Amino acid sequence: MMNWSLAVPELVLACCGMAILLFGALMKRRETFHLASMLTIGAFLITAMLVIAGPHGLAYHGQFVADSFSGFVKLLVLAGSAFAVVASLDYNEHENLRRFEFPVLILFATVGMMLMASAVNLMTLYVGLELQSLSIYVLAAFARDQLRSSEAGLKYFVLGALASGLLLYGISLIYGFTGSMQFDQLARVLADPARVSPGLIVGIVFLVAGLAFKVSAVPFHMWTPDVYEGAPTPVTLLMGTSPKVAAMALLVRAMATPFGHLLGQWQQLIVLVSIASMLLGALAAIGQRNIKRLMAYSSIGHMGYVLIGLAAGTPAGIRGVLLYLVTYVFMSAGTFACILAMRRRGVMLEQIADLGGLGRRDPVLAMWLTVFMFSMAGIPPFSGFWAKYFIFTAAVQSGLWALAVIGVLTSVIGAYYYIRIIKVMYFDEPQEAFDPRPPSLSLLAAGSGLFTTLFFVFPAPFVGAAETAAKVLFG
Amino acid sequence: MIAALAFYVFAGILLLSAAMVVSARNPVHSVLFLILAFFNAAGLFLLAGAEFLAMILVIVYVGAVAVLFLFVVMMLDIDFAELRGGFQRYLPVGLAVGLVLLIELGIVLGGWKLAPDAAALRFAPNLAGAHNTAQLGRLIYTDYILLFQAAGLVLLVAMIGAIVLTLRERHSALRQDITAQQSRSVRQTMELIDMPIGAGIGGSGTTGIRRPAAPAPAPAAAPAHADHGGH
Amino acid sequence: MLPVALSHYLVVAALLLVLGVFGIFLNRKNVIIMLMSVELILLAANLNLVAFSAVLQDLVGQVFVMFTLTVAAAEAAIGLAIVVIYFRNRGSIQVEDVNLMKG
Repeated sequence: MMNWSLAVPELVLACCGMAILLFGALMKRRETFHLASMLTIGAFLITAMLVIAGPHGLAYHGQFVADSFSGFVKLLVLAGSAFAVVASLDYNEHENLRRFEFPVLILFATVGMMLMASAVNLMTLYVGLELQSLSIYVLAAFARDQLRSSEAGLKYFVLGALASGLLLYGISLIYGFTGSMQFDQLARVLADPARVSPGLIVGIVFLVAGLAFKVSAVPFHMWTPDVYEGAPTPVTLLMGTSPKVAAMALLVRAMATPFGHLLGQWQQLIVLVSIASMLLGALAAIGQRNIKRLMAYSSIGHMGYVLIGLAAGTPAGIRGVLLYLVTYVFMSAGTFACILAMRRRGVMLEQIADLGGLGRRDPVLAMWLTVFMFSMAGIPPFSGFWAKYFIFTAAVQSGLWALAVIGVLTSVIGAYYYIRIIKVMYFDEPQEAFDPRPPSLSLLAAGSGLFTTLFFVFPAPFVGAAETAAKVLFG
Repeated sequence: MIAALAFYVFAGILLLSAAMVVSARNPVHSVLFLILAFFNAAGLFLLAGAEFLAMILVIVYVGAVAVLFLFVVMMLDIDFAELRGGFQRYLPVGLAVGLVLLIELGIVLGGWKLAPDAAALRFAPNLAGAHNTAQLGRLIYTDYILLFQAAGLVLLVAMIGAIVLTLRERHSALRQDITAQQSRSVRQTMELIDMPIGAGIGGSGTTGIRRPAAPAPAPAAAPAHADHGGH
Repeated sequence: MLPVALSHYLVVAALLLVLGVFGIFLNRKNVIIMLMSVELILLAANLNLVAFSAVLQDLVGQVFVMFTLTVAAAEAAIGLAIVVIYFRNRGSIQVEDVNLMKG
């Protein structure tokens, strides 16, 4: 049954993207960037409403699904992308990147991520992933006159293309050894353990490797610090939020639905990747002086925690994954909003030492950054603590004690460098004040800060939605 | 029998040229070997019954992608000799990685057997009598329409990306603005000036085009007109 | 459907994949050869898909190859665009002397 209307949010968003592109190409005036950004945010809002109101079901001959899991992920992805557009408003103006293609590329990347969230077929998975990746390669190199940016784009591109090539090879093996690309058929076939062949396992390993690259889990994390540092900061914000959510959701759905019966085969793999990511994220971040690189290692560590939930392989674990991703998107977007506010006499700053004395110069900014750092370190009552709590309880329920213990230990190590930033802000020599903050960044920091602080007051709707979403995969 | 022989010829040349792609000293040679590899891969596709894809591979890859590579290789002024430096250094590591990967894949792939219920799983079985191209066309415009559109978006993104990254607008370049040309009126182009007989246009100092029908110049100054059309 | 046993096709594809990976490891300095190696990897996957499609008598594999060809062409275009701007900024296409960012 061709139920095309289930993909209306994606179709509307893609059409809006093309309309904005036409608008930008036809308008000759210089100030199309702002207008195009505003239109993009509007398109995201409309799409979010369509996602909320849309019906659920399977469409396009089992290539596309709209269910509560995909809806949850799509809303989160839209939020992350909208944050990136908001953050770019002021930055691009200053850095001379005022081009309407910037929001349009973010929009098309978002279409790709939404396809990934809805993928129940290996082909949809691949095409969505590539739509997302290709847009982000261009965005990473967007500041084309800066060596750093073009280098970041080049690195990200070469490694990303290699990863997606291996992923494609993995897909071809899975298809050949089972005879299908459809998730539900794969699940049906693989319920019989006799059908599990070494070729299939190799295919799954390639698939996991490709997706691990996209979520920058160890050992496929090498690109993360360089690309985070070199890319324009709003693009780094984007890379740190929605693509991670989409790729993680894809990994979760792929592991839980078609290969759910092979839990014993891939659980060890995910456990190892998770431990390595948590350790590297905690240890390598200690010596960093550049705050964007620090955020890169921090994101590697956070992805390690998220993978604990996947390794648990239970609805509670998946619920933990989704809740962690929600809190992570807001923390991450807020932190990058603070980083974007680090500008002195028109020059962007990235060193941690530049934050010295911020507590006296700009108490509001310092307060929000403190909130985010505490939350990332997992200190109650901020949202990061609750995210870790849900993840660790799920791991303990599944008997993964060792993983939970390592998780707690690495978060203690990680707390050291988050708290070091707070120390720099409040106790170090005051530096010259930053330039006045634009309202867009203040809004972004305050919004994410309020969410992070007050999450514990109203967790029920999020926990409820995550629980419903997680149950879909095990239905 | 001939088909099997053809397979070995195509496969052999494919692998040899692929090896040359990664090891040739001159990147132009690499690109040419890449083209050879694509031609032979197209031959393998043909032997497997994928006629349409074989043609697409030749048209898209040889016709567009490989030429794009060639274009970039020749456009960038690169000292290629210098680029070969690390080759020997990485050779042992590369060989080791390649061998391990190959052995693993060999072990794994030897175990392939047709799944007993594969026939039931088929989504789009080959139809007897229908042409390969026709069958593919029927599939991508009906069942796979969503992915077809998404692939179109991928190409759109590639186009935007290539333009955004490499197009430089030179402001010194002279451009023809057709809309402006079409939409201007006579009033903006031409100006009728009442010249007192014997006054002339000398000393007005403007750069606009003057109606040539002005009477014969005379030494007196005319009023200046600085508000001409957009020339 | 295939002129030879399927395993022959799979071995050719596996060799092609290995050559591609090999090329990326070996040519650390020349990005353009790296991009060509990525094309070889994609070709290996496509060869696999076509062979499986022929043996399973199922056209899905071939449809997928159409999409991967599209994606690969787009990838080549973007990759080369990035190489061009990198070259404009740096005056070389060596990846190895990426010394600006270390960590």
